[in-house]
Amino acid sequence: MSDIVLKEVSKSFGAVSVLDKVSMHIQSGEFIVFLGPSGCGKSTLLRMIAGLEDVTEGEIHLGGRRVDQLPPNERGVAMVFQNYALYPHMTVRDNMSFGLQNVGTPKPEIIRRVDDAARMLEITQLLERKPAQLSGGQRQRVAIGRAIVRDPKAFLLDEPLSNLDAGLRVRTRLELAQLHNRIRATMIFVTHDQTEAMTLATRIVVMNNRRIEQIGTPMEIYSRPATRFVAGFVGSPAMSFLPVTAVSDVGGKAAFSFAGQTPVTTSVPFAGLPTSSLTFGIRAEAALVDPNGAIEGVADVVERLGERSLIYTRLADGSTLVAEDNGVSTVQAGDPVRIAIDGNAAMVFDDAGKAYHAAA
Amino acid sequence: MSVADSRNPAVDASGTATAQRKLRAFDIGGLILTLITLVFAIIWAFPIYWGVITSLKPESQVISKTVELLPRTWTFDAYWEVFANTMIGRWYVNSLVTSLGVTAITLVTSALTAYALSQLRFPGRTVLWYLILASFMVPLTALIVNHFILMAQLSLINTWMGVILPQLIHPVVIIVYKNFFDSVPKEYREAAKMDSASEWRIFSRIYLPMNWGVTTALAIVTFIGAWNAFLWPFLAVSKPDMMNVAVGITQVNDAFGVHYARDLAAAILAALLVALLYLVFQRRVTQAIMLSAGVKG
Ligand SMILES: Nc1ncnc2c1ncn2[C@@H]1O[C@H](COP(=O)(O)OP(=O)(O)OP(=O)(O)O)[C@@H](O)[C@H]1O
Ligand SMILES: [Mg+2]
Repeated sequence: MSDIVLKEVSKSFGAVSVLDKVSMHIQSGEFIVFLGPSGCGKSTLLRMIAGLEDVTEGEIHLGGRRVDQLPPNERGVAMVFQNYALYPHMTVRDNMSFGLQNVGTPKPEIIRRVDDAARMLEITQLLERKPAQLSGGQRQRVAIGRAIVRDPKAFLLDEPLSNLDAGLRVRTRLELAQLHNRIRATMIFVTHDQTEAMTLATRIVVMNNRRIEQIGTPMEIYSRPATRFVAGFVGSPAMSFLPVTAVSDVGGKAAFSFAGQTPVTTSVPFAGLPTSSLTFGIRAEAALVDPNGAIEGVADVVERLGERSLIYTRLADGSTLVAEDNGVSTVQAGDPVRIAIDGNAAMVFDDAGKAYHAAA
Repeated sequence: MSVADSRNPAVDASGTATAQRKLRAFDIGGLILTLITLVFAIIWAFPIYWGVITSLKPESQVISKTVELLPRTWTFDAYWEVFANTMIGRWYVNSLVTSLGVTAITLVTSALTAYALSQLRFPGRTVLWYLILASFMVPLTALIVNHFILMAQLSLINTWMGVILPQLIHPVVIIVYKNFFDSVPKEYREAAKMDSASEWRIFSRIYLPMNWGVTTALAIVTFIGAWNAFLWPFLAVSKPDMMNVAVGITQVNDAFGVHYARDLAAAILAALLVALLYLVFQRRVTQAIMLSAGVKG
């Protein structure tokens, strides 16, 4: 009902293009996260949906209505700013009431809606305070409260957690997820933190260099990244990329050789695969330290994370493969290691960065 | 900043003195600077002291061969004479009305102009801004004949409005306001836009209240400036009952020549309100002078 549709939306600041033909269809009630490196245009895209930035080309539809030429207040969306932008001279109640007052909502109605939102966000006892008298987390709630009282079709949040300390970030993240479950409104959330993206999103929009790289559920983005950029950007530690030296057909499946190792047979179909300039991609959890493993290398760095250890292994050609071992790994830097790769979890990328996966 | 400081040697000297004292516990240089400051302070304050005690002497004791630092006889006679024989009450009212008028109208128009220049995008905005900056270079006195002719044509000579209108030209107030409006983070404006606020609401509910400090500071200096204005109010008014205090006290003389105690009493009464204002709002006044000095410097 309040779907958000972007049709080939482009944006330039003067001669500088920052977004190039971005299209997407957001279902009503979704929690969408724009994820991407700094400067890729996430905020700009969000601000275009909000109406704070002109659309250079393309269309934006909201709830079936074309809105890209409408002023921000006529689009029925609310925005939570990174620095919250709470009016410093107004109490929390006035901050939350301001938007309703501007559209002439009757006073008892304003009071009721502010009280309801305050109760939901547990900030009732803060209503008569000024923003300067609130902690960062409380300000953050007030900023969300200010959006909620207007009962918008969509919430637009630009890195709303980035000003909170680590512990509070995690807690607020959880509360935001609960809030979304409760009010079921469409939310678009901008971040460059992949944990936030993975934990909050129903779908993630991975952006890079003016374009959308992939739109998908967190699991799709993680296990079947569409491009090498997505594969490298999402997941920690980053996926290992190894230049492929030879491809062979093993009963329809592709087997890849790299760094002078015995070929690794994967579930990627051989048919349709380019034969040169391929890169093999594997995540650490699918490359386990194993005395019987087929891959040989030398441990360069050992990171003990507690529940697991990461072994940065140098292969014969100098490339690095990140492997996983259990928390109490006995591997020391400089030790020779053997690694077993789970071919089913492997993927390859062509020289344009396009990914090839096992058949779905 | 620098303009304000060099005007006031006390700021310079004591500032340097404290800085140096932090370096060394005992500091001859700092001591000398403090003494110099003290000497300047006395030179500056003595005439005021002299004026006050003279106004409290009987007229017969004002002129004496010796320097009398305190009156032999204390008396308010000079003040009673001013109240009894001049229209000082009426002049006070005139000063109050015109100064408040100048202050209120200047602040309202300047704040609105500054908001438009700072926040709205309209054709001619840059030209307008440069015109205002340029008008800053033109001293009011250079236009005084034009003002007089204009006010005469409008039949506003000897009226409050005639005193007020030419004093409304204060580009520095616009400049200070604009600087402050410019420095408000743009998210506030955007948040207000998302909140369906009209430009008027954004101005009156967000930008103005966020800058109350500037408004009070500017109001005080504008008021003091208008209260102390002499040249224009002197030209614009010839009827004694329309004069303001600064002009009126120059009329306090009569056939019997100079009466120092009475004249000084009148002068002190004229300055009293401003002096009190200054005492009450000392910090704001200093702040405002710094603000406008920052613009000038
Ligand atoms: N008003 C502007 N004028 C010119 N260029 C701009 C403007 N706003 C943004 N840009 C440019 O557009 C690009 C995208 O900016 P944007 O703020 O959308 O990035 P982002 O993905 O939100 O980054 P971050 O994660 O750092 O917030 C950047 O290269 C930025 O320099
Ligand atoms: Mg951003």
